[in-house]
Amino acid sequence: MDTDSDSDLLSDLPQSIIESILVKVPLVDAVRTSILSRKWRYKWAAITELVFNDTCLTSGHDKSIISCNLVNFITRCLFLHDGPIHKFELNTSYSPASPDLDQWLLFLSRKDIKELIIDIGEDDWFRAPSCVFFCPKLTHLVLVRCELNPPPNFKGFLCLKHLSLQQVIIPPHDIEVLISSCPLLESLTLSYFDSLELTIRAPNLKYLNLEGEFKDIRLENTPQLIGISVAMYMTDDIAEHFEQCSGCNFDKFLGGVPCLERLIGHIYFTKYLSIGNEQGNFPVTYQNLKFIELYQVSFEDMKELFVVLRLIVSSPNLEELQISSSSITTTTDIYDLEFWERDWPADCIFGKLKIVHMTDFSGLPHEIAFIKFLLGHSPVLEQMIVAPTIYVTDKVVKMLIDLLTFRRASPQATVKFIQEPL
Amino acid sequence: MAIVKPEMKSYIWLETADGSIQEVEEEVAMFCPVICRELLQNGKGSSKNCAILLPERVNPANLELILEFCRFHQVPGRSNKERKKHDEKFVRLDTKTLCDLASAADSLQLRPVVDLTSRALARVIEGKTPEEIRETFHLPDDLTEEEKLEPLRNMTDDPRIRLLNRLYARKRKELYDRKKLKNVDVEEEPRVDERSVDDLLSFINGGDQDSKAARVTKNKKKSRGRKEQARNSSSNNEPGNNNKESNCLTSGCLNGDTSDGSSPSRNSELQNSPSAMFSSKLDLDDFDIDDELDPARKEEIDREVEDFARRLDSVWPERIQQILSLGQENRRLTPISMNGNGSMKRCTAGVDRG
Repeated sequence: MDTDSDSDLLSDLPQSIIESILVKVPLVDAVRTSILSRKWRYKWAAITELVFNDTCLTSGHDKSIISCNLVNFITRCLFLHDGPIHKFELNTSYSPASPDLDQWLLFLSRKDIKELIIDIGEDDWFRAPSCVFFCPKLTHLVLVRCELNPPPNFKGFLCLKHLSLQQVIIPPHDIEVLISSCPLLESLTLSYFDSLELTIRAPNLKYLNLEGEFKDIRLENTPQLIGISVAMYMTDDIAEHFEQCSGCNFDKFLGGVPCLERLIGHIYFTKYLSIGNEQGNFPVTYQNLKFIELYQVSFEDMKELFVVLRLIVSSPNLEELQISSSSITTTTDIYDLEFWERDWPADCIFGKLKIVHMTDFSGLPHEIAFIKFLLGHSPVLEQMIVAPTIYVTDKVVKMLIDLLTFRRASPQATVKFIQEPL
Repeated sequence: MAIVKPEMKSYIWLETADGSIQEVEEEVAMFCPVICRELLQNGKGSSKNCAILLPERVNPANLELILEFCRFHQVPGRSNKERKKHDEKFVRLDTKTLCDLASAADSLQLRPVVDLTSRALARVIEGKTPEEIRETFHLPDDLTEEEKLEPLRNMTDDPRIRLLNRLYARKRKELYDRKKLKNVDVEEEPRVDERSVDDLLSFINGGDQDSKAARVTKNKKKSRGRKEQARNSSSNNEPGNNNKESNCLTSGCLNGDTSDGSSPSRNSELQNSPSAMFSSKLDLDDFDIDDELDPARKEEIDREVEDFARRLDSVWPERIQQILSLGQENRRLTPISMNGNGSMKRCTAGVDRG
């Protein structure tokens, strides 16, 4: 090391660099710097990001003691802190008692908090105090397992860009109001909601992430949406509701998203979209849609197949397609395979489609016909990857034979058949 | 405008604080926001005479590093993986250079380099003990031992800190015991003070001789018991040289006890419990310490403990003087709340009730 200058290397760096260093170190280590030297005594207290997670836990076996120590640590840190706090993250499997959490949140609401992330243990769902709703500079809000009740005089988070609510109990009407009262909202994540009916009005929304049981989702004012990811679960109630509902879910959901670039759907998403969808009706074109990923598509349900076809035909610039099939091979219906010859004109071309990835295929007639359709209509296709489901072994050979016979519109298409080892 | 040499890159001139001037490819230097701004807004850098004057913290050495970084990254065709690999190699520098570079990059507002160097420095700091950090960065060790022990630090789980805290607690216990010892010695003289107000009244009123005597002997027995116990516990302690701590705040509690024997049994329980708790606590502590550390480390720590004890002893007399001057004015000061010594508080409460 150097012996020519014994001068202090670190203490005189500008505060912005010191902060930059201290936030990259676990908070416990940052607090420890207070005993390094006189100048360092309160340097840690000026950092603007406080992240409390499992690195702050003391060792031991007694959970109540560890929990108590954690609460004390957080309280003391906040008490000793000096200056604005822009980010506060609490991520632990322990559940601090409500009075402590409420006090911390009240303290933070007075400190210009911008990013608030609270993800605590599963024992008690905490009730967010009303001071959370009066943090005017909030740009990032992530809440997990809590109860939210916006007070009547809540005017919205005017700076909020990123909102993520997971397993949050909130009256349905209030979610809509919450979303529409955040004019700058760019990213929205809602997870694990039960039977939610939701209309989303968010003029600046770019990324939407939904997971749960949704009865009805309407994207009413979301012209800037770029990425959508939906995982839809189904219960019997919702299935019944679907039988009776009118209107086309596809239009309600994807009717107003011209800038969409990436669409991801899981589980019952295609089924949801298929309700009310009429075959052969393509009012909207998605010029920017490049990536489509649809999981658990049922190739035995013609309506779901229509949805998939509608999506890909309405996306002239589609580059990558990933589809997984849901393998319920119980029915022995006669499949209307002539549909493929009859309803799809030869000039339906997927001009930009390069990569197709099919997984969990069981060799159903419509699955095979779909692959044939894609191969025949994709002139620039580079890769077609087919991976059959591991539960079907007898039809594999037949699938292979069929694949070999299909006409390929693209001279450089390679077809890979991947068989997972059992 | 920069001089455009035909079919060659254009160059601009940069001047560092020490006066040396360099010629650099324009596209490389433009990666830096500050240089970019100077070039475009103020039109500087086109010739040697009006070279762009760089901020003070940029010297030729770190400028070279910064330009190397810019040179790599301004080439558009590289993959993210390549860039990451380069960056990781780039920050394999010694600590002094890292600090220097961070400072220079900050003044040039080159955010990527600031982030890289901060992350590297964070990795250096993480997981090190304070001594190691001080050594790496040449930080002066200028906090007093007491400052180091203030509650600010109780949040950490560092075994050394726990050790120091235990030592502090042990020291306090020592003082407490010595107080008791002293006071017991003092008690033996004015034995009449041990009697309760009732006793005195009954004596004045010509009460029962026997009961009075019995009470007195009972009290005597108690004090002897206490004295023995005090002696036992004090024999465990290292011989100190602080006899001045005769009137530590804890004495307020003790004296209060002895002057009011109305509920003697309860008081004696309270009296006994703190020392019992202390000694058992101390035993536990010793047990803990031995358990956690292996012999070599233990020796090291023992040495440091000795060292610390010596340093503490030198500071202690002054503090005691301060406390003394407060203590003499008001004997019944509530004791300082000590770590985990609810027993002390209970003691005072007992006195107040009596």
